[in-house]
Amino acid sequence: MIVNSEVLSDSKPLVTVKGTRDGLLFLLDEQADVDELCAYIETLVHGPSGTLFDGPVMDIVVDYGKRALSPSDSRRILDVFHRRENFVLKAWGGGTTTRQSLFQRKAKAGVENIYHGLIRSGEPVTFDGDVVIIGDVNPSGHVQATGDIFVFGRLLGIAHAGIEGDRSAVIAATEFAPMQLRIADVVGRAPNLRATMEYAYLEDNQLMVSEMKNFVVWNKKRRLNRDRG
Amino acid sequence: MATAIVVTSGKGGVGKTTSTANIATALALLGKSVCIVDADIGLRNLDVVMGLENRIIYDIVDVANGDCRLEQALIRDKRFEHLSLLPAAQTKDKRALTEDKMREFVAKLKETYEFVVIDCPAGIEEGFKVAVAGADAAIVVTTPENTAVRDADRVIGLLERDKLGQPRLIVNRIRPDMVKRGEMLDIDEIVQMLGCDLLGIVPDDEAVIRNSNRGEPIAMNPEAPSGLAYRNIARRILGDSVPLMSLESKSGLWGRMRKLIGGR
Repeated sequence: MIVNSEVLSDSKPLVTVKGTRDGLLFLLDEQADVDELCAYIETLVHGPSGTLFDGPVMDIVVDYGKRALSPSDSRRILDVFHRRENFVLKAWGGGTTTRQSLFQRKAKAGVENIYHGLIRSGEPVTFDGDVVIIGDVNPSGHVQATGDIFVFGRLLGIAHAGIEGDRSAVIAATEFAPMQLRIADVVGRAPNLRATMEYAYLEDNQLMVSEMKNFVVWNKKRRLNRDRG
Repeated sequence: MATAIVVTSGKGGVGKTTSTANIATALALLGKSVCIVDADIGLRNLDVVMGLENRIIYDIVDVANGDCRLEQALIRDKRFEHLSLLPAAQTKDKRALTEDKMREFVAKLKETYEFVVIDCPAGIEEGFKVAVAGADAAIVVTTPENTAVRDADRVIGLLERDKLGQPRLIVNRIRPDMVKRGEMLDIDEIVQMLGCDLLGIVPDDEAVIRNSNRGEPIAMNPEAPSGLAYRNIARRILGDSVPLMSLESKSGLWGRMRKLIGGR
């Protein structure tokens, strides 16, 4: 079953900066136009926000993802970085080890939580990793987790799985009648849903709800995908 | 040992003040010495419900400011000698009443009275925090409406965080005919959702409004079903086990006739 859903924020920044052990990691958008990208980096590094990078010499890693770059484009992008005096380019490439280690660590840090009790209206409860809630999530109650959410009870409130952007997260409940479902940045309203043993997942930016009996097969597929990705 | 009970709800208009007045009156009827504290500063009406508004000289803010002693502000009820009211202020600056002051007053009242019943303002802001500060136990009042139940849920969460123990629930203004038709949230559903003990149910009753306007709590009325409901609640507070009242006690001549014939 398809749930009426929409993507919340479609404007992801063209460049994401992460601090890693190897130094600053710049993740460049894979689809954006090279001119746009260069302009964005220009303002990021040399504009008013550039003061953030002031200070001693620092290592940087620039990762352009799966983009196919021409030599001239490559030079243009690198030039913007090189013009900052305190940057030392440590790595430049598509799938740098820094990027890989960043994402692998996240996937492996699958902490599991068990929460006993009611989640009441008003105060959002946030978990790192997957969570099993033994009790109800009341209307207006709000559960968030970086991983999956399993409710062993009635899900009547708001559940938000994969809050840090994990689009493979699921929300499952014994009694499934949520006010609102969110997976990563997709929001779905489920107006007349009152079912038992169901779970919600994302497929092509669309929230889907399926019966729990299909979960094992689906989960196997998900695990394979995760291992590969 | 004396107990201080705060009556709260989150949502306004569900019957906190009426419940406070009636629980206190019913406890007094059972021979307990009771003091009612109106913590709804600025919008006092507990004194109106109790029919004591013309006797107020000092109020709780005067005590907090040190303009009078606590004993001076207490108003003796006209029906029971062992029932008193500490009225709220209507115009004075309520910031004078802090959580510490409230704790101090309640502790002092507990030396003389067996029960201190505190009427809490609506909402969950400063006034709520002050009202809850001195209490040992809480009663949450709700009505069978989604909004009231939602707010009660929020308040119970806050009370549990304040380590006020497990609050107990009163479901007010139940209309048996609507419950029967399935148009009103039913009591089991509410109790299950809020996950706390049910202290009592009070049917919707016109007599409550009539009595409030006259300044006589309904608990004094021996005939009204809602009065019985409040007296039952008082007995449960004292630890008696009283079964929940049946809501289908619509007995008039016509009702009894129908029963005889075998109708519903």
